[in-house]
Amino acid sequence: MRLRQHLHSFSIVSIIVFVLVLVVFLQLFAGFTGEASDAWIHIKEYLLFDYIKNSFFLVLFTALFSAVFGFVGAYLVTFYEFPFRKFFGWAMILPLAVPSYIAAYIYGDMFSYTGIVSRLLRGIGIVSQIDVMSLFGASMIFALTLYPYVFMTVRSSLNKQSNEIYESARLLKVSKSKIWRKILLPLSRPALVAGVLLVVLETLNDYGVVKYFNVRVFSFAIFDAWFRLGDVGAAIRLSGVMLIFVFVIVVIERVLRRNKVYYTLQGRKRLRKALSTKAKVFGYMALGFPLMFGFIIPVIYLSYYSLLTYSKTLDMELLYVTVNTLSISVVATLITLFIALFVANLDRFTTSKFFKRMINFITLGYAIPGAVLAVLVSLFFIGMDRDLVPLYQLFGVDKTLVLTRSLAMLSFAYILRFLTLAFNNIESTYQKIGPSYTEASYTLGQGKLKTLWSVDVPMLKDGLIFAFVIVFIDVVKELPLTLILRPTNYDTMATKVYQYASDEMIHEASLPSLLLVSVGVIMIYLITHRKLKKRVK
Amino acid sequence: MKKLLLLGLMTLGISVLSACTLGTGNDGDRSITIYSERHYESDQNLFDQFEEETGVSVNVVKASADELITRLEQEGSDTEADLLLIADAGRLGRAKDMNLLQAVESALLEERIPEIYRDIDDTWFGLTKRARVIVYHPDRVSESDLSTYEALGDPVWENRVVIRSSTNIYNQSMIASMLAIHEEAYVRDFVSSLVGNFARSPEGNDRDQAKAVMAGLADVAILNTYYMGKMAYSSDPFEVEVAEALRVFFPNQETTGTHVNVSAIGLTKHAKNVDDAILLMEYLAGEEAQGVFANANYEYPVNENVEAHELLSSWGDFVAQDLSLTQLGVYANEAAILMDEEGWE
Repeated sequence: MRLRQHLHSFSIVSIIVFVLVLVVFLQLFAGFTGEASDAWIHIKEYLLFDYIKNSFFLVLFTALFSAVFGFVGAYLVTFYEFPFRKFFGWAMILPLAVPSYIAAYIYGDMFSYTGIVSRLLRGIGIVSQIDVMSLFGASMIFALTLYPYVFMTVRSSLNKQSNEIYESARLLKVSKSKIWRKILLPLSRPALVAGVLLVVLETLNDYGVVKYFNVRVFSFAIFDAWFRLGDVGAAIRLSGVMLIFVFVIVVIERVLRRNKVYYTLQGRKRLRKALSTKAKVFGYMALGFPLMFGFIIPVIYLSYYSLLTYSKTLDMELLYVTVNTLSISVVATLITLFIALFVANLDRFTTSKFFKRMINFITLGYAIPGAVLAVLVSLFFIGMDRDLVPLYQLFGVDKTLVLTRSLAMLSFAYILRFLTLAFNNIESTYQKIGPSYTEASYTLGQGKLKTLWSVDVPMLKDGLIFAFVIVFIDVVKELPLTLILRPTNYDTMATKVYQYASDEMIHEASLPSLLLVSVGVIMIYLITHRKLKKRVK
Repeated sequence: MKKLLLLGLMTLGISVLSACTLGTGNDGDRSITIYSERHYESDQNLFDQFEEETGVSVNVVKASADELITRLEQEGSDTEADLLLIADAGRLGRAKDMNLLQAVESALLEERIPEIYRDIDDTWFGLTKRARVIVYHPDRVSESDLSTYEALGDPVWENRVVIRSSTNIYNQSMIASMLAIHEEAYVRDFVSSLVGNFARSPEGNDRDQAKAVMAGLADVAILNTYYMGKMAYSSDPFEVEVAEALRVFFPNQETTGTHVNVSAIGLTKHAKNVDDAILLMEYLAGEEAQGVFANANYEYPVNENVEAHELLSSWGDFVAQDLSLTQLGVYANEAAILMDEEGWE
């Protein structure tokens, strides 16, 4: 009886996903059982310490910069009124459309000897060169392209904070710095930490920037062990060490956040204060700097070089690449959302501790860097294909690596990686709606799926669209997974850009990069403006 | 029922995706598949030309060298690849060691390609050469200051040398070539003293090294010849400026010769279209194709009957290492480990 009660479409889908994730992870443990290879001993002796040290500092600097950019931006557009406030409200999200590796190629080029910045500096007599291709430069690039995660989470938390607290504090003549210390920062801390965590995980996932700048962090190390030293075993061990590193960060986040969400329902409409002239200068600088360097300059650069190089790069292949990118991204995103919806539903109503833990485990995917996931998923698929050979022969296919050479492997990895992102967004929307409508529908005898389709989905629409866009942009930008797991000759915009860049054809990479950025911009514009329209109504 | 339908839809979605990529093989009468690391338009033109002449169509799969080798290994006997084309003899050596290649007996290839640029066991054949040279700024360095790679380890060069990361295969092969010629201790000394003279920790690509010299961050850089060619004919006028200001020096002329590497091609172990694949190898080593390689990409042709590009000729002749490039594969791992140990980032 009890078992039947627990088995329904939501839990079945969740269990299937759980088992798949578990099996993929088992590859990791299998990798640890073997004898330590020479390559691993070599890495441990000469390189591991540097990998840990560099990863630590890269994460630290990126977290700090992105926290400042995102938090100050969100604070200004929430509490103050000034010309172009609404514009900044959505434009500050735009850098999310610029993949970090593209920003790295652009700034690497601009600051190189032949780049515009160095030329301008020489023009005014400054000969020294600014070295962006360093750990510090890399962290700046990550912060500039990823801070919108912080901006979005903090802003939505500030929007939920009651105005009265701040007004009372001001009436009681509490100093500004004390308001920051005692009210604003503590109240926003969970959102700030959650946003910064997303930035950190994306930073650790990156392969393009660290490869180009030669910043030796974990993802770099894993590919290096796998390919240069030709040792999958060592790559797996490195993945293990990296996962420990990541989990330490996740635990720190949990501790800092203590799973608290502070908000009181908004009372009156927020009265935004005007900025003094001096504060306005500061405000525009604080908003303008990240927007300028995270978005406007890269777009100008890409447009300029697209114009110079389009005769070489605009061809039919680019059209195929665009179609490839969009189609796999749409399909992978939809399946991800679909599964996330099921898992979120199980999460809402289950009282079972087992299921809760299971869901926690499933949604770890985002914490697993692409390099690690790529190793695990490819091992998993090759193993599966070898087992499925009899089945293939039954259908008259005389090959072994059927799934491994298809898009199934890449889609699978995308889903595993981005399920967390979709789940978190759907779950938070569910929290806003509450369970009563769904429960009413169940009480009235509607089945689970019927309810999901006709009651939940219409109410979740905004949240689903938002989740779709966030996941979609991430899939389109994704590099390490795509690079390793794509079928032969299957290029997406991201791999195309990477290919040009690794052939030392940075300028030729502009057109596909610009396309990639445009996809993100269009999506961001659509969601932000959809919402604005609604608010006006 | 509906549950089943939904689950069914999901599996369908995935299988449609898989199906899309299954039927991509070329069903033409005669076709071969080549796994290539090179993404040059000139290569594609050569393949098109080959098809026109022979009726054999060429299906190209492009990815990085390591990716292609890993893929070839995973695919085993299921592979569609007939040929493997990679811009580093060391990596082809690895493919050979992994038993991914097979020997080819062809009088034409032997005639067209000098012995040192072929594998000892005939599993791969060099098509184009590039030299790893010293590039310097004539205002700060005079030609007479330069002699060998090893001399760049001398204290006078402290803080004056730039070169890219040790993870780069060209560097790995350069050090491998030295290990093949000298005792390990000698090479270790050299690497350690060279690293001590780095003007900055390695970053960026080969062109970035030349630009660093131009910018005054360093006085000499080590890079491949064809990057000088690419900059000299770049669409970016500022890169042209760099190429024109800097000079190329061929090191070790009096001793072991300048390090030379090749883009090379090998027949895969499980090739399905052996005859046509060998036909293409012979075509690429022929004078017509070699001329295209030389002019489009500023590489030195391996075929001695073909002239190099005028820019390359203008640098003059040079003595190359007298070393079978088979050795690059033999010493590749040892080189990688040695560079790590001596702190070459």
